[in-house]
Amino acid sequence: MSEPFEPKIIAFVCTYCTYAGADLAGTSRLKYAPNVRIVRLPCTGRISPMFILKALQKGADGVLVSGCHPGDCHFTHGNYHARRRWMVFRSLLDFLGISPERVKFSWISAAEGGKFADLINSVTEDIRKLGPFDQYKELIKETETPATL
Amino acid sequence: MITQEKYRTRVKELLANNSVKMVIGYKQGSTADRRRPLFVRSFEEADELVLDSNCIGNLAGYLVTEGLLSDEKRVGIFLRPEGIRSINILAAESQLNTEQIIIFGFDTSGREVKALQGEQAGDFSGLIDSLKEKPPEKSSDALLYRIDQMNTEERFAFWKDEFSRCIKCYACRQACPMCYCRRCIVDSNQPQWINTSSHTLGNFEWNIVRAFHLAGRCVGCGNCDRACPVNIPLRFINARMAQEVFESFDHYAGTSQTQEPVLASFNKDDSETFIL
Repeated sequence: MSEPFEPKIIAFVCTYCTYAGADLAGTSRLKYAPNVRIVRLPCTGRISPMFILKALQKGADGVLVSGCHPGDCHFTHGNYHARRRWMVFRSLLDFLGISPERVKFSWISAAEGGKFADLINSVTEDIRKLGPFDQYKELIKETETPATL
Repeated sequence: MITQEKYRTRVKELLANNSVKMVIGYKQGSTADRRRPLFVRSFEEADELVLDSNCIGNLAGYLVTEGLLSDEKRVGIFLRPEGIRSINILAAESQLNTEQIIIFGFDTSGREVKALQGEQAGDFSGLIDSLKEKPPEKSSDALLYRIDQMNTEERFAFWKDEFSRCIKCYACRQACPMCYCRRCIVDSNQPQWINTSSHTLGNFEWNIVRAFHLAGRCVGCGNCDRACPVNIPLRFINARMAQEVFESFDHYAGTSQTQEPVLASFNKDDSETFIL
């Protein structure tokens, strides 16, 4: 058990800002933690809470959701809708005992390659500190055997 | 009793002059303190109508039965204040036209039943506004208090225990007046978001999704909670969502038929503290 725990993190990002920001981080040769798998979507308004649940269901230890800063949305207000949704969704997760610390949200513009790299590093570090999402993984394991009533 | 007689007479009156094609009310149920829905189309059926403090179910959901309102005839319905709020939400979501709905409003305190003034959904706006003004009751429920005191891990363990009993019968969905989607997310298998088996994992996800879809729409009628065959305290989850939208967006579900659905609208100044 000498190897440090490497968290698996899924990032849902919007194509116009955060994905472009990630691209910039890449073309600027910035190094950041390799723990994040990016899923590109047209807009944060497209991101359903089901995506987040699906990521956890498939064994992610953390989820990152990121899009354009308020006012910058390519579709003018997709991110405002998303913001409301997340506010409600976070409090729901909190109430049901899924640590909101595992689901992170951020605004990253196409010009913020540096912020993207820093954020990935800090999020990875945070999730690593929380450790694997064992409680949820136990439930996932359970699904390998037939359900009992 | 007086209210019951008054409403029976009114129902007959409306049926007699063809103002309504049907009235949805309550009748005697399988035990003395249970009431079941009654669909009144004739005078004889009107005599079966019962109205007392045991009439607790929210009947609003029957109005969105496919085809019921499509002939543009009017339908009467017995509703408590929260049922009237349901009607407002359904109207705001373009599921029905309130002009087609004749409301027999009633409320109970203890064993007493009192009639509410008005017959159209708009007539009750004063009443609903006064409900909003009342501070949301700090629940004296011991269990809810206990959940609030728990840390994240204890909460997870608590809900895991509750949801492990869920058998995915979807009675909560069927009983809910707000769950009218023709194709529910759990009925679709392309993509399949939630496993169909009743493993705790999928039960967790189902209950998260259900609560989320009801955020800002649930009026707390308690239909889901009463329908649950394994007694999962669903009311707490819905109440927490209602509290969240009330505190964050000053949204009280069902105040009017023109109210914007809270998660389909936004305010540029919505303030949060968690986005990095």
